[in-house]
Order: sequence, then structure tokens, then C-alpha cells
Amino acid sequence: MAEERRGEDIVSEYLGQNPHLAQWVESFRGYCETNKQWSARREFILRNMEAFPTIEPGIPSSSLDRLLSLSMVWANNVFLGCRYPQAVMDKIKDMGQGIVVEDAPVRSTRDEIIAKGKRSTSSGPDGDNCVKKAKVGPNDGDGRPAGKAAARPACQKPGPSPQAPAQHQPFFNRLYKAVAWKLVSAGGFGPNLDHYEILQSCVESCKQSLSCVFVPLKDIPDLPASRVQKEGQVCELRCSTVYMGTGYGRDESAARAMASKEALKAFQGRKVTVKICRRRYNGTDVEDVMLLDDQPRSQGFPPALSYPFQADSGEDGAS
Amino acid sequence: MGVPAFFRWLSRKYASIVVHCLEEKSKECNGVRIPVDTSKPNPNEVEFDNLYLDMNGIIHPCTHPEDKAAPKNEDEMMVAIFEYMDRLFNIVRPRRVLYMAIDGVAPRAKMNQQRSRRFRASKEGAELTEEKAKMREEVIQRGGYLPPDEIKERFDSNCITPGTEFMDNLAQCLRYYVSERLSNDPGWTNITVILSDASVPGEGEHKIMDYIRRQRAQPHHDPNTHHCLCGADADLIMLGLATHEPNFTIIREEFKPNKPRPCALCGQMGHEIKECQGTAREKQGEHDQFADTMPGSEQEFIFIRLCVLREYLEKELTMASLPFPFDFERSVDDWVFMCFFVGNDFLPHLPSLEIREGAIDRLVGIYKDVVHKTGGYLTHNGFVDLERVELIMQAVGVAEDNIFKKRKDDDEGFKRRMKEKKKRLKAERPPAYLTGGQFAPQALGGRNRPEAVQNARHQAFDMRMQHNQAGGPSGAQEARGMKRKAEDSDSEPEPEDVVRLWEDGWKQRYYKTKFDVDATDEDFKKKVVRSYVEGLCWVLRYYYQGCASWKWYFPFHYAPFASDFKDIKGMFSDFEKDTKPFKPLEQLMGVFPAASGNFLPGTWRELMSSPESPIIDFYPDDFALDLNGKKYAWQGVALLPFVDERRLRAALADVYPDLSQEEARRNSLGSDMLFVKKSHPLCDFIKELYLAESQEPTEMPAELCHGIQGTLTLDGDPILPDKPVQSPIPLLRDIMTNSAIGAKFLDPQFANDFVFKAILLPKAKMPAPVLKPGDWEAGNRGSWRPQLGFNSNRQQAHLNQSAFRTLGHATGRSHGGQYSNAPPPGNYQDKYRGQPYRGGSQPSYPHSREQSLLGAPPRMNQFPRGGRHGWNQATQDQRSTFQQQMNRADSRGGMGSYNQHHNQRNDDYRNPRGGQQQQGYNPARSYPPPPEPRRYNRN
Repeated sequence: MAEERRGEDIVSEYLGQNPHLAQWVESFRGYCETNKQWSARREFILRNMEAFPTIEPGIPSSSLDRLLSLSMVWANNVFLGCRYPQAVMDKIKDMGQGIVVEDAPVRSTRDEIIAKGKRSTSSGPDGDNCVKKAKVGPNDGDGRPAGKAAARPACQKPGPSPQAPAQHQPFFNRLYKAVAWKLVSAGGFGPNLDHYEILQSCVESCKQSLSCVFVPLKDIPDLPASRVQKEGQVCELRCSTVYMGTGYGRDESAARAMASKEALKAFQGRKVTVKICRRRYNGTDVEDVMLLDDQPRSQGFPPALSYPFQADSGEDGAS
Repeated sequence: MGVPAFFRWLSRKYASIVVHCLEEKSKECNGVRIPVDTSKPNPNEVEFDNLYLDMNGIIHPCTHPEDKAAPKNEDEMMVAIFEYMDRLFNIVRPRRVLYMAIDGVAPRAKMNQQRSRRFRASKEGAELTEEKAKMREEVIQRGGYLPPDEIKERFDSNCITPGTEFMDNLAQCLRYYVSERLSNDPGWTNITVILSDASVPGEGEHKIMDYIRRQRAQPHHDPNTHHCLCGADADLIMLGLATHEPNFTIIREEFKPNKPRPCALCGQMGHEIKECQGTAREKQGEHDQFADTMPGSEQEFIFIRLCVLREYLEKELTMASLPFPFDFERSVDDWVFMCFFVGNDFLPHLPSLEIREGAIDRLVGIYKDVVHKTGGYLTHNGFVDLERVELIMQAVGVAEDNIFKKRKDDDEGFKRRMKEKKKRLKAERPPAYLTGGQFAPQALGGRNRPEAVQNARHQAFDMRMQHNQAGGPSGAQEARGMKRKAEDSDSEPEPEDVVRLWEDGWKQRYYKTKFDVDATDEDFKKKVVRSYVEGLCWVLRYYYQGCASWKWYFPFHYAPFASDFKDIKGMFSDFEKDTKPFKPLEQLMGVFPAASGNFLPGTWRELMSSPESPIIDFYPDDFALDLNGKKYAWQGVALLPFVDERRLRAALADVYPDLSQEEARRNSLGSDMLFVKKSHPLCDFIKELYLAESQEPTEMPAELCHGIQGTLTLDGDPILPDKPVQSPIPLLRDIMTNSAIGAKFLDPQFANDFVFKAILLPKAKMPAPVLKPGDWEAGNRGSWRPQLGFNSNRQQAHLNQSAFRTLGHATGRSHGGQYSNAPPPGNYQDKYRGQPYRGGSQPSYPHSREQSLLGAPPRMNQFPRGGRHGWNQATQDQRSTFQQQMNRADSRGGMGSYNQHHNQRNDDYRNPRGGQQQQGYNPARSYPPPPEPRRYNRN
């Protein structure tokens, strides 16, 4: 607030000193611009005029038009909610620095509304919590994905606590029952089920949610050489930080379906157990909390795609 | 008019304005399509003089149809457009003029709407493609089947904008089409065709209006011309009323809400792309023979009779004991004006006036109340009396508060009822133990007899397994899904309405959220009101006098409240004179998003995306959308920035030199074209012009062409008789024996300050009234009876007993039963023709034979015994004569065509026995005699 005052004061002071400018600048005001919008845009124009040395007050020129255009871009962005290509946005971000607009309107863009509409109308496979998280993984700059769900406060210490299996075991016992009944009503475990749907609905019926993390296959270290160049996505499923399964598919949803199938396999035994195991993650061995069935395992575990027990996971979640 | 609800409201309230079209279908015989002879009388029992086509209403559905698969390439699109026009021509059968108008560059006032549509269309198109690709992948991974993706470029519907190559091609194709039909179609023989393509500025329907207005204003105009205008926009109704022509009819596709659309991915009906399974197609019909036909495929047309609407309006608007003489024509103009408040293409509608809430009735009520105070009409010849308008606005303003409160109540009531309905429906769902598939229970006496159960074991197995396989998006999980949905919808967070018009302080909140100003900012409010007032004046003038200013536009996204219209009298004087429309490519720059830049030359395109561009602010990637109380994204207001004309022109001045010659041509303003056939009296006149190579525009002699006037100029690349016309479409043949001639045409010109009078012309005869006279019941005199079509004396059809027997016989026993001799449904004729007689084994007769039958009086005969080859090759003339008879007979045409089949069949067949029979019957009888009983068995 105070800053804005200063901004406005500077402008009016400046225009007071240069009365010839005032009239000229005023001619750029659009008919439909409100006082608030205009004073902000005027400040934008005046502040950035120096960057366009070819502008001479009172004389139309293409550099003047460029400045006016950018001022409109800025104002449209701030007041109308328009988005422009990234290069343009970067530019006006720099140029608009220091101009404070109080109480700018909040608008949702068309893309946002459409995306929201899709999420709420779509049923089943695109359940919302998953979509949100799915987006986080692949977009992470450093290629090391982290689920947003990982941001739970309890999980922010490095490595799982030794009590973790005991804490989680009762929940998974309930989940085991839910899954068993669900599979019975769906006609038994088999290849034709929508595994993700089943797993998700069971988890939700136990008042928890699944988190999915997707990584493009080629971004995963520790893979046998034969698979390195393959296209596709890998999905890792966790439920309240406990690892449930990993799957590979051509796209995210196929990978997720595969992972769910893997996870459901664990529920085929007589019971499920939560254990701390060692596995690979990001090139190193770490300890992870995993859901296992009562069968002895022949192979090792697939490398983890996310690790919710790191100290910095809080940042990831927040980003 | 951007008010889809307007027509629905109108046709519900004034139901008699709608007349269903009778369409004579062309027949097909042995793969040869026999076109309908449109020179024959119109089966709708009315003769139209002029047919006007608002082409954009045809181009859009033909290039990217919503209810069927899209054409594969541009050529197919053109052919689809031709076919559509043929259909319309066949229904309307104009006798004098066919006017085709494609939208040219529109006035600036329209640009905001165009921009918003094109920005959205571009985004929607991209989203659809993306979703398609995603779903395709998914479906194929699940092992589903999908027809291979045709390698075709996504058709960007944005190219239907003047200045694009597509529109240029279209203009070429239409010239070809016109010459072809003029040369070869008998129905076109005496027609004058005017083609106004996209290079002529002005919206299509307004170019048409301009034509009518200017013709009316010249002395040779026939005041009883029957106009027929094709187009679905509701504003055509306004435009038609604004002409004050007594005979004005609008033809449009029948509006069917919630028409099923095929899935964009697999092309099957019944699901949306989201639910696409891509499963192996179900067989359509036993051998998949119906795979490509949509259920109830063809859209039917309706006429809207404006003379009937005028009757209704007269009843509604007539006011007694006025302080001034009542003039119905003037009150119609006022009615049209008030409809603009509710919505039009150029202004956002007033927040308190919703057509669904009876806004027009409310306005009419207010109008009649206030008229005593106003002391006169609101408008005159398209000029607005602002003082009187203010009184209307203030009266609306008084009610505004209550309107908003009631809207909220209604809305909540509606939601509650929907919830209850949902609950009820859920309770009424059939119980789970009902069997499906072949074992599904069938209603007794239903149309389709149940078939014998096939492979019962397998079906039973399937039914048992159904529950097991129910994974995927259906089955076990579905029940759960349903339940949750019902719960969810209760709590589903609606977008929060921060304006809350139903609560005190709504005005402040509205101005704050919509305009981002404080309610105390009276200056700003006044600015908005002034612009809106200007807008009302502009729109009315646009409808009654033509475009007053190409530059004017409404520079806000929202309308003010009715109660804000205070002291508006002095707010408007006149528009800037002599404004010029944009050039086509300039307008493209003004309405296209950067994503459609491929329609523009390289350097022009760059202006849409480069950060250094001096007009980059016109082209946002994404924009805010204000749902404004509506539910769907497409209903919302797109908050797009407005185009600064000065900067646009300045920026384009730099890149103008980069236009190629071809592009410069596309960017230039074109001219209307007039075409006639060689045999038309005007043809020799035009030919003379070409021979004389006169460069001067020449006045058309009015007497040559039904009193139509205008000036003719020679065309640079003319279409001339006996000069072959090249086909622009590889699918279609060149016209080697062309008999059309074309020249540039210019509407009659009037002085700049000429005012077109909005009155009935002196010698105009009003058509016979249709509506029941108000005092009919009371007096019980006069001979009024309800009228369904155009003709009040249409003949009723009668079938005598023998005819029913014949019918029952021909349609076979499958429809047997006590009702079998009930008359067949309306379009029975076509179905009937197709089925029972299919399968004549011999090749058809040569055409010469048929020709020889021309004109022969219909002869009667009984059923022949064997092959019925050739019967359906009935020559056109004979056929349509019957058709007319038949249609006149209340469209229950079984008799007419039936009759004819016999004759034809017999003629071709030359059954000796039939020949004998023939002698016994009077050829002039209109109904066939009953066949001899003994013949029944043989058939």
C-alpha cells in the first residue's frame, strides 16, 4: 500500500515537472480503461520509456507502439487475466517490476476452467487426487520426481521411522479386507479388471488416498542396459508413504494400471505385511517402507521412483 | 443473434408461425440418381419468388458437421455445400432470384464477438485433437478396435473468415456451381442468381437485407414479392420483420435439442469421446448394412412465416385509446428494438433481461404501460427516440431488484426439483433381476416382433459372466459410481458467484467485479451507459438502414443495468461518417488468435507472436473466462482485449509490401456477381455489354428482370455462354456446354442521407390471415378453420376401402392385424418404394423408352405378376405430377405414388394381360381401381 502510494506520487510528481508529457501520455488512455487501470499502465509506460530511446514525445513511431503494446500486455495480464507466450510474459515481468497494483481482480483463465471441468466430470480412472500429483512428477526440473503427497509432516525426517511398519499395519489389514471383498464382487482377480479403479476405491473406502508418481522410463537410473532407450512411463503407487507397486506402460494411465495390478497381487496371499526393506533409489541404497505378501520373494525390488522420507521432500511437495 | 433461446421462445409462444417443409426427395434407380425437377410447382403449395441464402449457415454445418463424420477434404466439403443448396433449392423452388451471400468483412461492432468465437474455436480444436490422441492410445492399449486415423489435417473452422484461401476457393466453386445449375437444371432456367462472396464487405444476412431494402426503395420493385430467407440465426426474424414486406418466410433446419452426436473418435453414436471403448463395432442391421446411416439422419426443414408472426404481434401490440393513432408497422419496429435489449451480436444483454425469464413479455408489458407517457413510438425508420427509451429503461430498472431475487429463487427451486427428480428416477430403475439382451422382456403389440432366441446357451453364459467381467469402467464399480455421483452433486461446489445480484448492494458488487471500478465512479458508469446507448442506436440503424459506422463498437465486456440509463437523451447524436471497412486480411489480423496464424502471410503472422511486435497485446495465449452465472464454459464471457485500430493499421503498413500478388488480390474488395441463363431476357443485354466492351457501369433495365434494378459492370474473367467452365473440384466435371452468363452487379445506390422507409409499400397485399379471429368463438360466424400449411384450401386426402385393401396387400402381411389398413406414416412413400418391389432382376429400360412415355395419361392396371423392373424409373415429369397431387392430398401420399407405380410398371412390363385390363378403366381417374381379388394370391 505504502509502496503504491509512492509509485503514484512519483508519477504525478514526474508529470508535474514535465507538463508537455502529461498531455501526450494521456492520449494513450483507452476509452474503456478505469482510473485504476490507467494509472497503473501509465506508470508502466513512463517507467519503461527510457528503454526505448527512439521514442520522442508527440511523435508516433513503431517503438512507441511497441511500448504501448507491451503496456497493454501487462495491463491485460494484470487486470483482464490474459496469458501470453512465455517470451512475452518474461519480458513484461521484468518491465512491470516495482509497479504495485492494489486489489487486482482475480480471474480464472479458460484453460483453468476447462481443466477443472474435466476433473470434476471425469469419473474413475482420472480421479482428481491422482491427476494433480501426476503432473508434479514429470515436470520436476531435475528429473527426480516427488509426489505432492509426500509433503505430509510425519514423513519429513530422513528415512522411515522404525515404528512405521507397526503404525501402518492396521490400516493395511483393513485394506486387505476391503480388497478381498471388492475382488469377490468383481469376480475374482484377473487380467480384465480395472485394477487401478479397484485399488483406488478400496483405499478410499478406508479413508486414505493413493499417490501415483510417474517417471519416463528413460529417466530411471539403475535399469538393465537393454531397456534404457525404451519409451514409456513408469508409475509407482504409494499409500500413506508405504510402497505398493510399480508398473510400466506406454503412457501414464497404462503404467498406473500396471502398477495397480502389481499392488493387487500382494493382496492375493493370506495376509499383507508392512516391512522396511532396502532398495535402490536414485543410484543409492535406501530404506523404504513396503507392503509385501506372505510369499518369499525371488527377485529384488524394482528401484524406487520417489522417496518420501527425505529431509528435502517438504520443499518438493510445496513447490 | 447470439440468443439461441430466442427462436425457441418465439416458436413456443407463437406456434403457428412454424410450417413444416415438404421435401420431394430425389430417387435413385440402379445407382443412378434422378434429380427432382424443381420447375414443377412447389409441393408446399406456395410459390416463392426470391430465395436468399445466408451461406455461413450452410458452410459451417457442411464443413464440420456436429452430427456426422466430417468430410475428408476440401473437395468433399464443397460437394456437401452444393448438395445442401440443392436441397434448399428443391424445397423452396424460387422463381425469380437466388441470392447467395457469404459473410464478408464485418463491421467493427461484430469483431469482438468474432474474436471471442475464433479464440475459443482454436482452443477447442486443439483440445479435441489432444484428447482424441490420448483416448486413441488408451483404447488401443486396452485392446479395443478403432478405425484407422484418416491422415487428414484438422479442419480449422476459423478458415471460414473472409480473406482466407478457403473462402477464395469457395467463391470459385460457387461460380462453377451456379453456371452448372443454370446450364443443366430446368428449375434454374428463369432464375437470376446473385452471388455475394466473402470479398464483398458486410455480414451475409445484412448484405441480403441491403439488397431487399434497396430494391424496395426503387419504383420498379414488385411489392408482393415473396421472399424466402434461409438461415438459423434468430436475428433473421428481426431482419425479416424490419423489411415490412408482406410475404416473408424464413427457412431453417428444424431445431432438435440434444441431438445425439457421434463419438469423435470411433464415430459411433451413444457415447462421448471420454467413454469411448473403441470396441468392435456392433453390427447395424443383420449384415451391417446400416452402418453409415444415422438413426433419423436427415435434418428436416421448417418454414417460419413472418406474416403469421405479424398477425400474432398485431394481436399483442394493438393498443386502444392511444393519444396518437396506432400504427402497427411502427409498433413492430419498436418490438424489434426491444428484442435487442435481450441480446444481439453486438452488445451484451442487460443483466436483468433473460429471454428464458420472459423478458420480452415483460418489455412488451412495460411498453404498453409506458406508451401513454412516452406519447409516441420508440423508433422511426431505424432511428431511436432516446427520451422515450429512457422511460422504458427506468420501468425495467424499477423491477430489476425483484427480477434478480426471483431469479435466485427460481434457480434454487429448479435445483431442488432436479434433485427430487433424480431421486425418483433412481427409485424407478428396473430391478436387477430383469434379464437383458435377447431375453429382455418385450412389450406386447410392440412394433418389432421379438426374434427367435438364438444361441441361448451362449447368451446365458454371457449373462452369467457379465458380472465377472464387469471390470473396467462399468459393472461392479458402476453401482458405487452412481451412488457417489448422486451424493457428490449435492455438494458439488458451484463456481462462487461473487456478484450475488439477489442481495443488497448488488450494483456495487457488479461494477466492482465486472468493471473493476467503485460504484462511486459515476463517470465510468456513464461511459458504459453512453456506449450502450450508442450501441442500441447503431444496432437499430444497422437493421433498418445499413451499417452506419464500420468503426463503432461497444468497448466493454458487460452491459450496465437498466436503472443506470438516466439522462440518456443527449448521449448520442450521430456516428462518424464515411468510415471504411477493414480489408479482409486486416480483419483476419483482428479476429484470429496466433494459433490460426497459418492463414496469414509469414511476416503478418510474426506480428501475432513476436515479443517485439507492436500489436502483441492483441494475441493472448489464454484468456480469462467469466462464467457470469452460467454453467458451461462456452456460455461464459471471454475477457479478450480489444483491438486498437490505429496500432493495427500502423503495424500492418510495414508488412503490406510483403503480400504476394495472390494475397493482395485476396485482400482486395470484390463485387457481387449476377448470373442468368442464356434463355433469360437479361442475357442478351449482358452479352451486348461484353461485345461493346463498355467499361462504364450500366443500369439494368428493370423490365427484363421482374423489376430488379442495379448496375452491371463487366467481369474480368467472365462466365459466358458456350465458353467452357473449368471445374475447380476434381470430383466434378468441367462444363463443356455452358449456357450461363455473369457480370458484376451493384445494388441501386442512393444518396448518403437517404432514409429507407420502414413502411408497407402502397400496393402490397397482405396474405390471408391464419390465426383465429379474436371474436370467432363469441360470434361463431365467419368461416375460419385451422391452417397447417401455406394454403388454407389444402385438400384432405381420402382413401376408400379398396385403396386400403390395396395398401394392405402391398405392404405385406408383416404389418397385418386389425390396424393394417390404417394410413401409413408421412414419409411412407419412400420406404414403401424401397422394399416390397426391390429386386427386379432385369436391367432397366433405356431412357428413350421413358421419354416416350412422357405425357401419356396415366393408365390404370392391376398388379403384374412377375418382375417389376423399371417401375421406379418413372420419368421425372410424370412422377412429380403425381407427387403434387399426392402432397396436396395431405402428404399421405400412398395413393399418388402407388397409383403411379402401377402405371409405370405396367407400361414397362407390357404384360399382355395387363394390356387387356387397361381397357376397362378410365385413365382420368385419380385412384386406382381395386385389383381383382384373384390376383392377390399371385403376388
